[in-house]
Amino acid sequence: MGSRISAKRLTKELTELKTNGPPTGCTLIQADDLECWVVSLQVLGESVYEGEEFALRFKFSSSYPIDSPEVTFVNCPERGWKAPVHPHIYTNGHICASVLGSGWSPVLNVASLLLTFQSMLASCKKKELPPDNDRYVRTAPSNPKQTRFVYHDDDV
Amino acid sequence: MKITINNYHAIALWRWNLKAGLQQHQPANAQPTAEGEEEEEEEDDDDDDDVCGICRVAYDGCCPDCKTPGDECPLIWGECTHVFHMHCIIKWLDTESSKQQCPMDRRPWVTAGAAAPPPDAPPAPRQAARVA
Repeated sequence: MGSRISAKRLTKELTELKTNGPPTGCTLIQADDLECWVVSLQVLGESVYEGEEFALRFKFSSSYPIDSPEVTFVNCPERGWKAPVHPHIYTNGHICASVLGSGWSPVLNVASLLLTFQSMLASCKKKELPPDNDRYVRTAPSNPKQTRFVYHDDDV
Repeated sequence: MKITINNYHAIALWRWNLKAGLQQHQPANAQPTAEGEEEEEEEDDDDDDDVCGICRVAYDGCCPDCKTPGDECPLIWGECTHVFHMHCIIKWLDTESSKQQCPMDRRPWVTAGAAAPPPDAPPAPRQAARVA
């Protein structure tokens, strides 16, 4: 159930990303199927991440967009990708952002999430790891959607 | 000249009347003036696409699980004025994470013209939202 809606919508999103391009600063790296996409991301303008390139991996369930996608920052030394040092991003790439959990809405999409994470990074004043990073990374499930994050502030 | 019509095929085109759907459910005193109506129409034209925000298929098409657009895959209006394929919004409202909210504005979903709010929709926040 629901697989038609996800396949149809992802096909549309992919066509749009390929025709109009993803948001400025983002590049579609891999989207060979409708299950897992990788998009590189840079923060535009002045920021503590100037000159750095990150990559986000999107995994979609067959219930997308009713169900939020699983989104993580990629750690891939070969490509030079590392999760950004940010108070809401764990070193294993997991992101604590309400938009991926309780704040998800089916009218959101990959492009709007890219913009969200770009601005989340752009507004960061100081590169700091989440206070509970070590503990979380040691015990984290591979799918961050299985983590019940507590959202500490709303400005992300 | 004399023309004899031997045969003809009638072709009809239909569209969901999105504005009528809304007005029908609005209280009489909320009817837009002629001027307001015009503005609204322009706004609609600016709207990049008349698609269901959930499945991104045109309102005049059908949700991805249906084959025939029209009465078999109807649209549904919320009191917040947002429109979706009925099947799409039902899928969303059926989830716990929807919190029975409109995907567009996160206000409690209230189907326009419905006699009573859905049993799960808490009426209190809605009133609060209206005051605010």
